[in-house]
Amino acid sequence: MQFKLLRGDTILKILLAAAALFIIGLLVALAVELYLGASASIYKFGPAFLIGSKWIPSQNILGALPFIYGTLLTSAIAIIIGLPISLGVAIFISEKLKSHQTFGYLLGTIVDLLAAVPSVIYGLWGILILAPLLRDYVEKPLHNSLGFIPLFSGTPYGFNFFTAGIILAIMIIPTISAVSIDVLNAVPNSQREAMYSLGATEWEVTQKSVLPYARSGIFGAFILGLGRAVGETMAVTMVIGNIPTITANLFSPGYTLSSLIANEFGESSGLYESAIIEIGLILFLVALLINVFARLLLWRMTRGTQVKV
Amino acid sequence: MKNTYIIIAAIVVIVIIIGGVFAYIYASAPAKKSTSTLAAATVNGAGGTLVYPLMTVWQGAYGSAEPQITVNYNPVGSGTGITDFTKQLEDFGESDAPMTAAQYAALPSGTTALTIPISASAVVPAYNIKLANGTVAQNGLKFTGAVLADIFLGTITKWNDPKITALNPGIPLPDTLITTVHRSDGSGTMFAFTNFLYDSSSTWASQVGKPSTSPAWPSAPAQIAAPKNAGVAAAISETNGAIGPLEIAYILENTGQTSLYYGTVQNAAGNYILASVTNIAAALQAGAAAGLPAGNAAWTSVSIVNNIFNDTAATSVYPIVTLTYALVYQNQNYNSRSYAESAATVNFLSWIVNSGQSLGKGLGYVPLPANIVSVDDATLKLITYNGTPIS
Repeated sequence: MQFKLLRGDTILKILLAAAALFIIGLLVALAVELYLGASASIYKFGPAFLIGSKWIPSQNILGALPFIYGTLLTSAIAIIIGLPISLGVAIFISEKLKSHQTFGYLLGTIVDLLAAVPSVIYGLWGILILAPLLRDYVEKPLHNSLGFIPLFSGTPYGFNFFTAGIILAIMIIPTISAVSIDVLNAVPNSQREAMYSLGATEWEVTQKSVLPYARSGIFGAFILGLGRAVGETMAVTMVIGNIPTITANLFSPGYTLSSLIANEFGESSGLYESAIIEIGLILFLVALLINVFARLLLWRMTRGTQVKV
Repeated sequence: MKNTYIIIAAIVVIVIIIGGVFAYIYASAPAKKSTSTLAAATVNGAGGTLVYPLMTVWQGAYGSAEPQITVNYNPVGSGTGITDFTKQLEDFGESDAPMTAAQYAALPSGTTALTIPISASAVVPAYNIKLANGTVAQNGLKFTGAVLADIFLGTITKWNDPKITALNPGIPLPDTLITTVHRSDGSGTMFAFTNFLYDSSSTWASQVGKPSTSPAWPSAPAQIAAPKNAGVAAAISETNGAIGPLEIAYILENTGQTSLYYGTVQNAAGNYILASVTNIAAALQAGAAAGLPAGNAAWTSVSIVNNIFNDTAATSVYPIVTLTYALVYQNQNYNSRSYAESAATVNFLSWIVNSGQSLGKGLGYVPLPANIVSVDDATLKLITYNGTPIS
């Protein structure tokens, strides 16, 4: 019968498949377009572009390494500082505030609001308030007391890897917390009750029952946060100092892939423009690799667990 | 009881909104009918950000003079402004630096680009230094081109370097490391500044090379790059010992900044000049008097900085000034543009180089001197539509 072709289910199936294919198509189109735009630069510089450490557009000496380094380093600082705090916030709100629902709800709403603040606002605040504050009250004391460690050896001026990492941490905390709160709230109470009935303490319940149950969801939140850190542009541009540098010294100005694109794309042309598009392609690949790596890690972690969120 | 309050609050809010809408309509209603013969059209331009604040003022004022014409301006940056112009995507392009030989070569064959200076600005060395006696250094520290070059080359690293103290006797300059600040994005401000350093120091010329909107800055011991004039200003005012090139308009607009001051620069006559609207206008006048090319010729080598660099007769000019340019095609009939669009473009440009100049003063833009305006007027007369002159 011809009617069968028009059945609601079939139409829905086709529409949903189209939506899914659209996403895949978009990703492929993006990659192809970036590759085509970057091809002049890829052809000219080859793999040397990835390990070149100088960026002098007027002489066509272009290398991406300082920018890749800056992106990875600032994201790492952001995760090291941001992840424990985010988890703390999420566990506090979902586990400890169970009996004070209004307060928990209020705190959760504030976290959601922070997650929605545009990044340029964080950037302005960073350049005018956070950078001088960090310089005077965190970076200088660290430099004076722990200056013998290479990480803290440079004289701090406020515009450096460290400040950029901190501002990224502040930006990803609401993202990771907001998602983690929802994930932890979704853990069935039976999980907790079972542990309590065995005489476990509150921390043991959280640590041995709730967190393992929710870990795949928390991992998703972590990936979202990391994605925001890797791709963040304006806030970082305003506080990182924008000097291509590779150094272990956190108090040195640096540069990231996305900042470079934001700063220089408008004034570029020819091979220089192509090189900046290749920077975009590299950023795309870095984000992709981080995602794949995280999925593999998650797959290893959850292997053997029965329950998943 | 609670509901009553909510209702009262709601009524108040509604009354305020409706009142505001009426006030707005009333305020914007008396738009005068134009007596002009220009047909309705839209003029689209794209280019540098330096002129953008002034362009928004021009759009408003021109809109009341010629309400049937809409002017759009997209501040995409000088580089993209020229590229879009070359691709014939806009009615006019805009750039803080004149087109280079390569950019002229990229024009569609058979076309002629006209270069029209539309505004000017100056670049000042802005700084934030806590002096040895505990006070903050005020406006007027003295610099020469050679000393500025050495600072940005990283060869002068401390504020109490003999080369700086020799210029500023009696000022207790501290033993503080100099942090140099420059723009992270390409900018006409950097072009003018590196143009001056290029002329002033042979070491700079050989190490850094020709003036550029995004020069290869030498590595100094302490160095920061920040986006836009606002970013540079913030980085300087937050860093003790910082110095950086800043557009004068930005300083004049932000008179409230407490820790941002700017210095004098020595001109060809040997005088130390603190930039002001008067001495910037004098610099433009002197620079243009040294000769500007015809509007349809190549402007690649035009530089007011170069023109006044050895002009010892110009005793009271500020040496780091720059023009910003509109770019249009001599034959306006391209990409199936209508006559109305072409006429509107020419009329708008003619309006900004004549009536529009005085509107920039409050924003720190210096009106073009008469000798540049007359060059512009001659250039605008060259514009044709299918061989027929427009204005």
